[in-house]
Amino acid sequence: MSTRANLPTIGPLLWYRDPFAAIAWLERAFGFERRMVVEDGQGGVIHSELTLGDGYIMVVGPPSGRAVSPVAFGGRSTQSVHVQLRDGLDALCERARGAGAAIEREPADQPYGDRVFTCRDLEDHPWSFGQTVQSLSMEEMAEATGHEIKVQGGTP
Amino acid sequence: MTPTFRSALFYQDPKAAIAWLEKAFDFELSMLLEDADGNLAHSQMSFGDSYVMIGQEWSADHKSPKSVGGKNTQTVNIHIDTDIDAHFARAKAAGAEIIAEPETQFYGDRTYRCRDPEGHMWTISQTVSDVSREEAEAASGLKITGWR
Repeated sequence: MSTRANLPTIGPLLWYRDPFAAIAWLERAFGFERRMVVEDGQGGVIHSELTLGDGYIMVVGPPSGRAVSPVAFGGRSTQSVHVQLRDGLDALCERARGAGAAIEREPADQPYGDRVFTCRDLEDHPWSFGQTVQSLSMEEMAEATGHEIKVQGGTP
Repeated sequence: MTPTFRSALFYQDPKAAIAWLEKAFDFELSMLLEDADGNLAHSQMSFGDSYVMIGQEWSADHKSPKSVGGKNTQTVNIHIDTDIDAHFARAKAAGAEIIAEPETQFYGDRTYRCRDPEGHMWTISQTVSDVSREEAEAASGLKITGWR
């Protein structure tokens, strides 16, 4: 349907104990915009779509069954979200820090050409943010990282 | 285009996960970094306009569902344009553990849910009818703010 076509194929879904607090925090800390919220009528969220750049995530909760928030799981996670920015990485890090994000790795240039910082959000979900500051060829990247790189089509 | 979001999934055996995701979901390996011992350091798989990253359990806090009793703190949604029932059949044939068979939802998407061999949950959907917010609220009894 044309109404769905402007979202990318894949979207991460994150479980939160308090999804409304999470949505408000994600707007404040990372600049997400609330596109849709489906409430369960008991303080929970069964579906939502928050957009940033050309992408979207879903925030839902409270978790049940096999789903769990990291904050109720000893800080452990089974997935994380990587956000690739076009610009403004250092400013976003300060904005997130100001909102209470726990910065785990301060912004730093990586050997593969991206500047990266990582943090935990208000319920301990891990996030990484990257911005390409130097475009490297695969050969240059392999040399810089010391890893063998195998590519099978597509642009990384 | 560089997509804004990429989910990074933690696996006990990421190379087996890559092979399974190729077979089950038609993901394509676009980048694989190995260390000198042939261990996976980083990888990206593409599907449509998007990527996921398949990696190791890299700390005590970053674990496969297989290592933590099948729990998931995040999952991945895949939205496809065509033939979700064929997608389902392919995943099922590859050994996906089916949580919910394809079913058309009140908001106009047909969806199914499954678990991969290490217990990561995936939701796959295809929009099959154009439903308004008012229609979706009436059908579900839920309060909906915003719409697609």
